[in-house]
Amino acid sequence: MAEKEIKTRYKFALLGFLWVLLNPLLQMLIMGLIFQFFVPVKVDNYFLFLFVGLLPWNFFSMTVMKNTPTIVNERHLIQKAKFPRETIILSIVLSNLFHFLIALGLLLAALVVDKIYQGYSFIELLNYTLRISLIFPVSVWLTCLISGFSLLFSALNVRFRDTNFVVQAIMPLWFYGTPIVYTLNLLPIKLQALLILNPLAGIVQLFQYILLNQPTMPVINLLINLSIGATITYFGWKVFQKESPLFDDWI
Amino acid sequence: MKKGSKKIAVELSAVTKKYILHHQKPTFSEHFLKGFRNENFLALKSINLQINKGEKIGIIGKNGSGKTTLLKLIAGITAPTSGKIKTYGKVVSLIDLESGFHPDLSGEENIYLNGLLIGMGKEEISEKIKSITEFAAIGKFINEPLFTYSQGMKLRLGFSVAIHADPDILILDEGISVGDQNFQEKSLKKIEEFFAAKKTIIIVTHQLDFLKNHANKIIWIDKGQIKELGGKRVISNYEKSK
Repeated sequence: MAEKEIKTRYKFALLGFLWVLLNPLLQMLIMGLIFQFFVPVKVDNYFLFLFVGLLPWNFFSMTVMKNTPTIVNERHLIQKAKFPRETIILSIVLSNLFHFLIALGLLLAALVVDKIYQGYSFIELLNYTLRISLIFPVSVWLTCLISGFSLLFSALNVRFRDTNFVVQAIMPLWFYGTPIVYTLNLLPIKLQALLILNPLAGIVQLFQYILLNQPTMPVINLLINLSIGATITYFGWKVFQKESPLFDDWI
Repeated sequence: MKKGSKKIAVELSAVTKKYILHHQKPTFSEHFLKGFRNENFLALKSINLQINKGEKIGIIGKNGSGKTTLLKLIAGITAPTSGKIKTYGKVVSLIDLESGFHPDLSGEENIYLNGLLIGMGKEEISEKIKSITEFAAIGKFINEPLFTYSQGMKLRLGFSVAIHADPDILILDEGISVGDQNFQEKSLKKIEEFFAAKKTIIIVTHQLDFLKNHANKIIWIDKGQIKELGGKRVISNYEKSK
């Protein structure tokens, strides 16, 4: 199923896998050019900072937006046979994970090469490599969270077709509710507290912390943030499980 | 598994299926405006049924009597509102032959996709792919994307994949006649092979003559309930009632 996704996505695109990288790069360029004048972020390289935040965000938003209407769109699969309905959703998550990992791998390679240029010693380089390999457990967590949201929204969309519109409307807001173009400490305290509720905020911050050594929210807030994400993921999975045997009645 | 389950292929106990009627697409806004007041439609009312292995079941009844709902429930495509359904063995349905294909993928890739959906393993498909393609008579089109296929080719391919899945329980809905004369004869032969083998077959059709020759048990469904169950006599009773 994931194979199907990857194949169809690029079957007719000449640039093929180049797009995977080109897309976030272009986004980074445009946003970087504009936001650097408005957001007084204290980072060494604002473009790099943007890219590190955009990478998990794009994985999240593209997968969830694609998955939300997918059960309704793929009704011919549902009507065909009995099979675990999750596979439709998870195959899209997997194929996007694949693209995400390619982009992430290139980013990590670029970061390490940069450190070599800066004249890091072997030990320092080893330390740095160990540090950035922490990104993988965070990516696993990100993938779980994305699956949870995807399952939740796609199941809801079968029952309530306007879920898709709601998701499309909140995605841009959600983007600005996540510390991607700004750092958390630029916000007033009250807003900072509000962002703890956004499960994406913690993950994006962990990305920035691990790769760029940016400060994160306090550990206790991070834990609250992660547990909110875990609750939503579990809830989404449960809702999907409960609803999926009856999908055929609604599509 | 209980004692005796070796003999049973499908078991339905007190199965009821209720559909909620919606006149438009279901939405949030409508849900909140109208609340939970919904029109219901009882497609099946408390069905008890036991199908043994190797039985050839024919299901007859008027349009809208719940035949297809019954098939969908047995195939596991939808779940009952209440009651329990148990099936023993691999169920393959020929309810909607065209579904489960992706227009951008080639014929071969679609065989894999479709095969996986109905529960074949990847290696199993690789083994059978030649025979599937030959049976469907797709020829050199097999590497072309599916949108270039004619309607008949798609149906043939769907049929071919389904019968190669080697089901224990085969579910057929009307569409026994697919494709041109030649293919129809071929597929009928294949279905008769299934009848000859000790497979369980459940078939819904209005072609009563076909059932007279092939089925050994007839279920007459009327208004969501089993009206009569038995041998070929049911068919003549059904014909009289019309």
